[in-house]
Amino acid sequence: MISHRIAAIADYLSPVAAGWRDVSGEQVPLMPAPLAMQPTEYVRKSWERKPYGQIRALGVASVHDGRACAIRLSWSGVAAAGSDFPDAVALALPVRGSPALALMGAADAPIHILRWQSNREGLRSLLATGIGSSRPGPEIECGASAQADGSTWQIVVTRVLGAAEDAAPLLAGNRTRIGFAVWQGGNDERAGIKAFSIDWQDLILDA
Amino acid sequence: MSKRQVAMVMDLNKCIGCQTCTVACKRLWTREEGMSHMLWNTVNSQPGRGTPHGYEDMGGGFKDGVAQPGRRPALADYGKAWEFNYEEAFFGGAANTPLIPQGGDPGEGPNHDEDVGAGEYPNSYFFYLPRICNHCTHPACLEACPRRAIEKREEDGIVLIDEDRCSGYRFCQEACPYKKIYYNELRGVAQKCIFCFPRIDRGVTTACSRQCPGRVRFVGYLDDPAGPIHKLVHQYQVALPLHAEYGTQPNVFYVPPISPERYGADGVANGEMRIPLEYLEYLFGKRVHQALALLIDEREKNRKGEKSELMDLLIARDWIKMFGPFDRHPRSIEQVQATA
Repeated sequence: MISHRIAAIADYLSPVAAGWRDVSGEQVPLMPAPLAMQPTEYVRKSWERKPYGQIRALGVASVHDGRACAIRLSWSGVAAAGSDFPDAVALALPVRGSPALALMGAADAPIHILRWQSNREGLRSLLATGIGSSRPGPEIECGASAQADGSTWQIVVTRVLGAAEDAAPLLAGNRTRIGFAVWQGGNDERAGIKAFSIDWQDLILDA
Repeated sequence: MSKRQVAMVMDLNKCIGCQTCTVACKRLWTREEGMSHMLWNTVNSQPGRGTPHGYEDMGGGFKDGVAQPGRRPALADYGKAWEFNYEEAFFGGAANTPLIPQGGDPGEGPNHDEDVGAGEYPNSYFFYLPRICNHCTHPACLEACPRRAIEKREEDGIVLIDEDRCSGYRFCQEACPYKKIYYNELRGVAQKCIFCFPRIDRGVTTACSRQCPGRVRFVGYLDDPAGPIHKLVHQYQVALPLHAEYGTQPNVFYVPPISPERYGADGVANGEMRIPLEYLEYLFGKRVHQALALLIDEREKNRKGEKSELMDLLIARDWIKMFGPFDRHPRSIEQVQATA
């Protein structure tokens, strides 16, 4: 996956900005987070006969201007009004070490997560060091713009480039790895009940 | 496993359904925004659907030690916190203005079955059932939470939600078979009875127990042989858990109600209890028969002028002893803080 160099990120902040038409993206396959990996018996028992994580692919495209990076995410699955839980998407980046995405990181290999959800403005920055461990993460300049187009969510997540304590490094000309998760609020999906990208994808930022 | 377990016994023979406990709790803990539907303490007429309405059919708990799926109560299941036209009815100047709930369809109030009861006259019956979080020994809420946001305190077994860790996933609500966990939509966190732990930590009993005009509630440690809880639960075994079959080992216990005798077709009392024993067994299990038999025996002893430690304990002549080691006056705590 390439984050293409562009002149100014400001032209890409909206998911329907014209510039995105010229940015090649890709479909990242998703699968349900395995039931066996759900951290409590209650969650495993209550979902063993209920389908979840049925979003099969997430459209991803990315650009950066050397100062900030924008990632456009799109998938089909807009919850009907009145759902108890929000639709949500998260992207994960390794902070250091070689964390396993499926294990949500480890004590010495944290994962930095930027999470958007349909019932709140902006993004949440989270840090995870294992399943069920996520906590408020580093304060970082980031934002989101979302649009529901019929049954399709289109979200642009932006984050400043750079690296800092617990903020995953994201640098022009460098390669990192990225993972994704999607929750369908209308299906009561939350916590580990989600679709996720199985393993890391390479993310290369143009120099 | 907690080192000790603080517990409560409620004597259903003395509850008059005045809701003072409910109000004491409400004023102390659930007056903030997002908490209007929360009654950490409820008192319901039984038989009835309880609060949230129909909670006994919402699942959760454990069966043969295995966690059971449950459902989250909807906001309407708790009953609306009705607003009334006080200004108009009391000060509007018009005669015969009724006091009515505002805001369209009022729905069902929290204690919607109030005093409805069951049975046909002259054998109609009901009793009151107060409920709080059971601070279970095997808490389904704690075990369900993927965030590990719920803890059971080691020193006294009080079950608490860490609101900083809670992400509002509400698995705890589904898993609790008593449906005594509430969701604060504004803050996005689960909240529930905290057994007044800031008071307990300072030797003051819970607000619901201390404010109870009926002297219904005993508080203390389960393992304290000198305290009322141990005597009622373990020594006399007249205090029983509600729906023990839910598998969570609740630490709130109930002295079951002895009811008046039924009248036969001839209009003569026939010695049978008016509240069907099957219903009490449904709530409190098979041990309810033994508990009721002992309560009736001890009551008879008392009537004959014989000494009954059990009756003296239940009558609670010495009110402050109902609270075991938690006998400090709350005002004494304020004084400590003021001089600190």
